[in-house]
Amino acid sequence: MNRCDQARRLFGAYWDDEVTQAEREWLESHLAGCPGCRQQYEQFARTLETVGSLPRTDTAADLPERALVAARRAVAVPDRIAVAPARPMWIQVTATAALLLVGLGVLLPWLGTPAVQQVLAHRESRVAEPRLRMVAAQVPGQARTEAALVDSLLNHSDDVEFILDPVVLHRGRAQAPSGLPKGVQGEQAVISF
Amino acid sequence: MGRVAEDDERAFTELVRRFQGRVGNLISRVLNDRENVDDLAQEVFVRVFVHRRNYRRGSKFSTWVFTIAANLAKNEIRRRVRRRNWFSLDALTEVLSDSLPQLADPTESREQGLEREQLQGAVGRAIATVPEKYRLALVLRDIEGLAYEEIAEVLGLPGGTVRSRINRARGMLQRKLQPLLRKQDAP
Repeated sequence: MNRCDQARRLFGAYWDDEVTQAEREWLESHLAGCPGCRQQYEQFARTLETVGSLPRTDTAADLPERALVAARRAVAVPDRIAVAPARPMWIQVTATAALLLVGLGVLLPWLGTPAVQQVLAHRESRVAEPRLRMVAAQVPGQARTEAALVDSLLNHSDDVEFILDPVVLHRGRAQAPSGLPKGVQGEQAVISF
Repeated sequence: MGRVAEDDERAFTELVRRFQGRVGNLISRVLNDRENVDDLAQEVFVRVFVHRRNYRRGSKFSTWVFTIAANLAKNEIRRRVRRRNWFSLDALTEVLSDSLPQLADPTESREQGLEREQLQGAVGRAIATVPEKYRLALVLRDIEGLAYEEIAEVLGLPGGTVRSRINRARGMLQRKLQPLLRKQDAP
């Protein structure tokens, strides 16, 4: 930082009379020898002098009386929102924690019952992931791969006729071209309507 | 203020009378709005009355009232910005031109008077264009003459931040006014 930058950084403190004696002497000697900084400081000082001498805005002469009337009204008007009586915060926190503990105490043993375990196990088995499995080949030495298919693997571009009878659907076999590799056979299809 | 806290209404009106000029001036300089100054100053004193029991005895009343006024001015700026009701520079010029004759020096020539008016007008407009956070600190320091420590208390900021904001605001003002000041320096 050169001397002029250093001097200009001190303008504000110098104006506010917040410089040390050493800073004051240094700045004044710099201003005496540097016309650029002197001009800058003069502009700075004139700006602040003008700011300080700006005319003041008048307020109404009857403002005290008006303010008193408004203040009385403000004090007299109750809040439109009902405010609950202040209660210490720790009561709410303790009550919430106690409720959570009771809830967990009831829920944890219930989760361990056989009926719940059965429901959970059933839910897990309902949506089967596509899986490939090796099955015994008709031709010795060649294994066959079968896959359980999800709907998205079937090509729906060809019309396929389904009979919406669960029994018939179970016995029938839908013939739709799938995107499976050759030799892989679909075993199960999940069809969404 | 102690008497106001004890519901002494006469003390309250006396307090308003004593501070209405400084509160009104602060609001009008920060908001660049004279039309609503009375209403906004009134609102400041209503808050003083409503919250009179929160006032800490022994602390400076001017700091407390300026804190309320500064917060109200900041809220008002935000409300106006939300409503896209930007500050009118013309309004400030009008304020200045209306009140200038009161302060005119009777010994100055017509030309000098015009020059002073022009400079004051430009300074007023320049203040109105300084960003809000710098403007508040600048008005409190260079127009209301508060000490840095008091401004820090009013704005709820550390002293270093207040000094830096005031320095930046002064720099912005000087840059905006430089062309005019140069012209005036020329013979």
